[in-house]
Formats: sequence, structure tokens, C-alpha cells
Amino acid sequence: MISIKDKFLIFMSMYEIPNKKQEILLEQLDNFSIDNVLCNPITYLTLSAEEIKRLKDGYDAFQFENMIENMFKSDIKIVTVFSDEYPSSLINLPDRPLILYTKGDLTLLNKHCFAVVGTRMPSSYGKIVTEKFAKKLAESGLVIVSGLCYGVDQIAHKATLDAGGKTVAIIASGLSRIYPSVNLNLANEIVEKGGLLMSEYPPSFEAKKYTFPRRNRIVAGVCDGILITEAGMKSGTLHTKEFALEYGKDIFAVPGNINSSKSELTNHLIKTGQAECTTSADEIVEFYGLKKSRESSQLVTLNFEEQQIVDLLKEEQQSFDFLAEKTKIPINILNSCLTTLEIRGLIRKLPAQMYCLA
Amino acid sequence: MLSKVLSFGLIGIEGFLVQIETDMIGGIPNIDIVGLGDTAVKESKERVKSAIRNSGLEYPVKHYTINLAPADIKKEGPIYDLGIAVGILAASGQIKQKNYKDYIYIGELSLDGSIKKVRGLLPMLISARSMGYKKVILPKENEEEARFIDGMDMWAISSLKEVLDFLNGETETPIQKVEIKSFDEVVKSSANKLDFENVKGQAQAKRALEIAAAGGHNVLMIGPPGSGKSMLAKCFSGILPDLTFEEALEVTKIHSVAGELDLKEGIITQRPFRTPHHTATTISLAGGGIHSKPGEISMAHNGVLFLDEFPEYSKQMIETLRQPLEDGQITVARANQTVTYPSNFILVASMNPCPCGYYGSHDRECKCSPIQIHKYLSRVSGPIMDRIDIQVEVDNITYKELNSTEKEESSASIKQRVDKARKIQLERFKNMKTFSNAKMTVPQMKKFCHLSPECLTLMEQAFNNLKLSARAHDRILKVARTIADLEGEAEILPAHIAEAISYRGLDRKYWSI
Repeated sequence: MISIKDKFLIFMSMYEIPNKKQEILLEQLDNFSIDNVLCNPITYLTLSAEEIKRLKDGYDAFQFENMIENMFKSDIKIVTVFSDEYPSSLINLPDRPLILYTKGDLTLLNKHCFAVVGTRMPSSYGKIVTEKFAKKLAESGLVIVSGLCYGVDQIAHKATLDAGGKTVAIIASGLSRIYPSVNLNLANEIVEKGGLLMSEYPPSFEAKKYTFPRRNRIVAGVCDGILITEAGMKSGTLHTKEFALEYGKDIFAVPGNINSSKSELTNHLIKTGQAECTTSADEIVEFYGLKKSRESSQLVTLNFEEQQIVDLLKEEQQSFDFLAEKTKIPINILNSCLTTLEIRGLIRKLPAQMYCLA
Repeated sequence: MLSKVLSFGLIGIEGFLVQIETDMIGGIPNIDIVGLGDTAVKESKERVKSAIRNSGLEYPVKHYTINLAPADIKKEGPIYDLGIAVGILAASGQIKQKNYKDYIYIGELSLDGSIKKVRGLLPMLISARSMGYKKVILPKENEEEARFIDGMDMWAISSLKEVLDFLNGETETPIQKVEIKSFDEVVKSSANKLDFENVKGQAQAKRALEIAAAGGHNVLMIGPPGSGKSMLAKCFSGILPDLTFEEALEVTKIHSVAGELDLKEGIITQRPFRTPHHTATTISLAGGGIHSKPGEISMAHNGVLFLDEFPEYSKQMIETLRQPLEDGQITVARANQTVTYPSNFILVASMNPCPCGYYGSHDRECKCSPIQIHKYLSRVSGPIMDRIDIQVEVDNITYKELNSTEKEESSASIKQRVDKARKIQLERFKNMKTFSNAKMTVPQMKKFCHLSPECLTLMEQAFNNLKLSARAHDRILKVARTIADLEGEAEILPAHIAEAISYRGLDRKYWSI
């Protein structure tokens, strides 16, 4: 059964009352029934006129009860600062979320959590790096945390699921209004595969500009460390990094091309010593004293053509036309060689007919 | 007096017999034309009157009732002018011989009595021949078009006076029958066309187009602006097998009905290449309209329909392609009539990978947000993508490639391989309704695309490791079959499967954002 205090917090989160004011109310009020809150002078002292108007105009007892009932029906679990299940990693944060709407396995937050974050529009380098790191980290048993947004977030979640790992998505909107909606299937998959979706906003809450940086503080809060795979200077990752610094979490960054605007932040963090430079997931795994994932060191036998291709790709990524010209392999055979190599996981196809080693 | 002469009309691309009955009676002088004629038919009376007078013939001032039978089918266009004029001349007793009833008259009249060209002559002739009619009088301007119909006596005549003299047997120099030409005489080389020789680089795209030509597969080219997608598409029709006479007749029929036939050539010998712009209307694409003309997709029959900037076409237009891509024909129902036009074409579509065009490009950064890219790609629906077997990426070529002196393979030599592969397919699908690998049905695929255990393992690995979507499976099989045919192999080998998989660009996971 849901307690009066919980109801109070749901009520507050529904009408976007700032966390700090909620904390004050929690301290000063002695009766948390909503009717009391709405007419208590303390409320009027703490909240602004606009906020009070929002509460009074918006409140409808019937709808409110209905919403809570619906939440139970859709398997959304409410965890407040008063419940035992509230993640211990968040409880002492200065700006802790007072209420969490969750879906999935909450115990994941007690394990080693590690965030993989970055730009929403990664380059193909960023995509590969994210996928590689997330896969390895997940295989070593870390729970991968990210924000279920486009780009790095999405790839991190997907790679973790593919590697059979567990992943936590902390969302900037309500749980029944996943933003961006293209990730709805991914969100369902995360829950199905034993992961966790979490948000501090009520289920039907739409994502707003300010909710993304707020979300990032939870990302930084729940995990032991964060890895930034690729991010530009204007990226929202900047917030995650700031919170991680503030909370004293480990920050790792993957260096990138100095000419690429998409690697500016990561390179900057490395340069200024704010982040640990990392080039292999194993370094992070070792850092946490975990067991490395077993390297599948099967011996691969390549035929002459395949060897030629792999040799050329060792230097850098190459276009199809370049490979055709250098190796002089007939197009049809080159095509099938490349596909076979890709199926065997040795090379990777990038957009625009580019190939690189996996 | 009453006279009856024969003419022909058109429904879709099929001709039907029209009997023009002219009754000359006393009364208030006038011409009444009945039998569901459109405005062009109604106006015919003025043209006929002037044409008769200006040809130096007599136009008795009487009341004429003219019936176009069958009276319940709509008649369109000025093709009945000549028949009506002959009918009046016959009714007024100016034609002395009785044999005028044996001829079919097709032609529009000018006020000075000369006979002008009509559209849709070829399908009318073909229908007339199949109905057993033997004699036709047609406009001189349409003579070339008639040259390929043997088994009929046709006279191409340029004025009404000459028609009358011819019917009365009074011409000074006898009018010769239209001379029949054989199709092989007129088939010209495709030398003046764009040739793959002139396209530098783009080896993968060229190979993909070769496979498409060999198996009749639809192709989608994805690449940044300026990468040569349109150029490749234009070269594509040059590597398709030559039109057979039957195919050429079908194509010519459609072009004749649409009035787009080059009257100097008479018959179309090259596979059509149609590029409707994305601002075209659905009707112009599908056909129909008030005068029920074939649309672009029918004009591309037996040829290539090239849709540049595919996602820019309206959803409705793209969905219109579904029936033709499946059945090779399109049925257009309009208020007046329902017509079916053949439209068996190879679809070549091109698109950018994202709205700005540079997604994944290595020389420019893409400025699109993920949601924009997602929206752009989803403009082309799944069912249409399902009908496109080959998706190939085309990228900008480098300056070095542009200026390389290395000789590229010519269209002619690619075409040889294509012809060979087509021959194998014709042999394979003997006595079946299928003509190419692309049109294979599921039972046919089971029969002809047998996979060895190695192929099956490869397929399975590919699906697991490359995250191909399920709908890719059949496409890969069909394309692999064509690749095997190009190589002259009876069985599909793992290499063929592997190559076929490389033409599934859009199914690949990196594309999902």
C-alpha cells in the first residue's frame, strides 16, 4: 500500500515543484495528506504563487487516484527516499531525487554501475568506440547506465543487450512517454532482458529542456564511474561530467581526432586532467578489479584476398573503390570477401562504402 | 441516303471498331453527331464541312444525322473526321464504287482537306488486324508507325481529295500500299547513349546495376548529392537486353496512345527510360485522367523508371507503385471507364542518406539530427522497400579517380554478360509466366534457389552477425540466383550469397540511428 508521504511526493513531482522546496516541506509539514498540504500556511510560505496556482488548479482527487492505479497496472514501481529500496548511491547526494518511477530490476543499482555517455550524433568512430567499450564492459559484469537518448546512449544500451549484459536507462521524460519515441522498442527490450528503466518524473510527463541535465545528475549519481566515448563542447555530456566531478566519481574519456569537433570535449578533459585517458575497456575493468572478459582468441585463417584486404585496412579505414583499385580483386569477389570478413567479425562496414577493422 | 463506313476508337491501349452511319435527309441544314462523342467529336462537323468544300468537292446543304456505333462507348478525339467526311461523300453519292465499305478510315481533317496525324494508331491497327480487317486508310504522317504491321493492306494518304480519287479509282499516279519493314532493319545501335565507359570509379554501383539488369531487379542507390547516381541510372538502360519485336510493339503501342511517338521512327527500338519529377501528380504517374492516357509508369513499360530523390515523392505516389511492381500492370478506374495499362518496368530509385545528404560521408559532416534522418528514411514505406531487391551505396569519387586514365568497362561488354544471364533465365522459366529472377514466386524460389549446407550456415551467420531484417532473406536469395547466373553456375555458391548480402545496405544495423 502506498503511504501518505509517497502520495505527497507523487503529487509534488506531478506539478513540477523543485526538489529543494519539497525537502523544506518534508521537514516542516507534519501532515502530508494532500488536502492539508493545499491549505497549510507553510505551503504558502515555501512555494511561489505560481506554483500554488499550479497545484490548486491542477489537482483533482479522482484523477490523482486513477493515475496511481494506472501506474500499478503498467508495472511502474514508485521508490521514494523513505523506502528501503531507494538506491543507497543516491541517498546522500545534495540534490537527490525524492521520488523515482522505475520499471524493471531495482537491485541492479546495488551492483557495480558504470555509465557510458556521449554525443547524440556520434561519428562512425564514436559509434565503433562506444559499441566496443560497452560490449567489453558489459561482458565483465558491469551494469551499463545511460540515458536512452539518440547516439551514444542508444548504442551503449544496444551493445550491452547484445553482449547479454544488464543495462539501466535513466530517462528524461515519464516512463510511459519515452523520449525519443523511436527508442520505445529498445526500452521494452531493456526491461524484458532484466534491465531497469528509471525516471524522476511521473509516467505521463513530457521531456523538457531542463529535464535532460537534471537526468544527468542521476546518471552520474548511480554509477561508480562514467566513460565519455565521444562528445563535443556543447554536448549535454558536459553536465554529466560536472555532476560526476561534484560527486567524486571516476571519469574516463576516449581520445579522439583532434580535428573533429565531436571529440573536443573528450580531448579537452584528457588534456586538463579531469578525465582518465582510456583506450581500452580492459583498463577500466582492471581499474575496478574485475575479471576481464575472456578473449575469444580463435585463430583465423584468411585466404590470399582476405589477407590483402585486412592488410590494407590495418592502416586506416578505406573506401570500396580504393580497395578495388589497390588489390585488383574483381568486384564480385571483393564484394563477397568483404561480406564474409564482416560476418566473421573481422571488419566492419561503415556508411558510404567505407570499411575498417573491427 | 444512308451510308456506313468503318473507323476505330481506343479504350486504354486496345482498339474497338466504330461504325459511322450517315443519314442524309431533307430539312433544316445541319450535322448532328450522336454516339457519345466528346467535344472534339462534336466539333468534327465544322472541320468536315470546310474540308469537303475546300477540297473542291460538293457539300450538299442537307440535314445529316451521324451515328457512331456502338453508341454506348465514349468516343474521344478527332480520329473520326475522315470517316465522317467519307460517310457524307458516300451518302451524297460522290463515291461511285461500292468498295468504300471495306476500308477502315482513321484520320483527323484540317480545314483545307489535308489529313493530319492521330495518336494511338498502332494499337488500333493491331486490334483491327486481330479482328480480321484487311484494308486501312491512314494519315500519311503516321505511315512509319504502320510499317511494322504485316498481314494488312494499308494506304497512307495525305488529303481528303486523294482519298476520294483513290476510292473512285481516279488517281493520276496509283497510291502505293504502305511498305512493310522488318524490325531488325531499324534496330539501331545504342552508340549515342550514355556509356558506362564514361563513368569513373563507382565499381560497386556498376556491379550492382549489372546484376539488376541481368535479373530484372529493382535498385535503390543511396549516396550524397553529386555522387553520380543519376548518371549511373541513365547508363543503366544501355546494358539491358535489346527489345524483342513483341516488346517493342507493346512499348510503341503505349507511346502511340500517349501521343509521344516519334513519327519519323515509327517504332520504338530502345528500352524506354522515364524520369518523372517528384512534383508530378499521382495521375500523371499512374495514368488515367479525362482522356485516359497512360502514365509515366506505363510509358516505362519494358524499360526503366528512374525516380530521383525517392523520398521526395509524395507517399501516395510511392504507394501507387505497389500494384505495378507486383503485377506488371496498372488498372486505373475512372468515372467513364476502367482501363488496364501494362507497366512492367525496372525501378531505379535514388536517394540521399539523410536530408542534408552527407550522412556518413567522409568529406563533409552531416548536419541532420537523428530524428530528421529517421523521418527522412521512413518516408519510403516497408512494403515498397520489400520490392526493391538491391540497395547499393554510391559515394563521391575522389579527384584522383576522376582523372585516372584507366579505361572503364564499356556498356557493350557488360551487356554481353547480361544477355547471357538472361538467356539462362529464359531457359529456366520456360513455359512459366515468369521471365526473370526478380519475378520468381515462392514455389519457384524453392525449386531454383537450392542452398547447400555451407550456404545455409553462411546465411545464418549473416543474419545473426549483421542483424539483417527478415524481409532481406528472399531478396538475398533472388539476387544470389542472378549472380550465379551471371557466372554461369547452376548452383548458388557461398560467394554468391555473400555478394548478395552486400547489396542490402539499408537493412544493416549501422543505418539504424
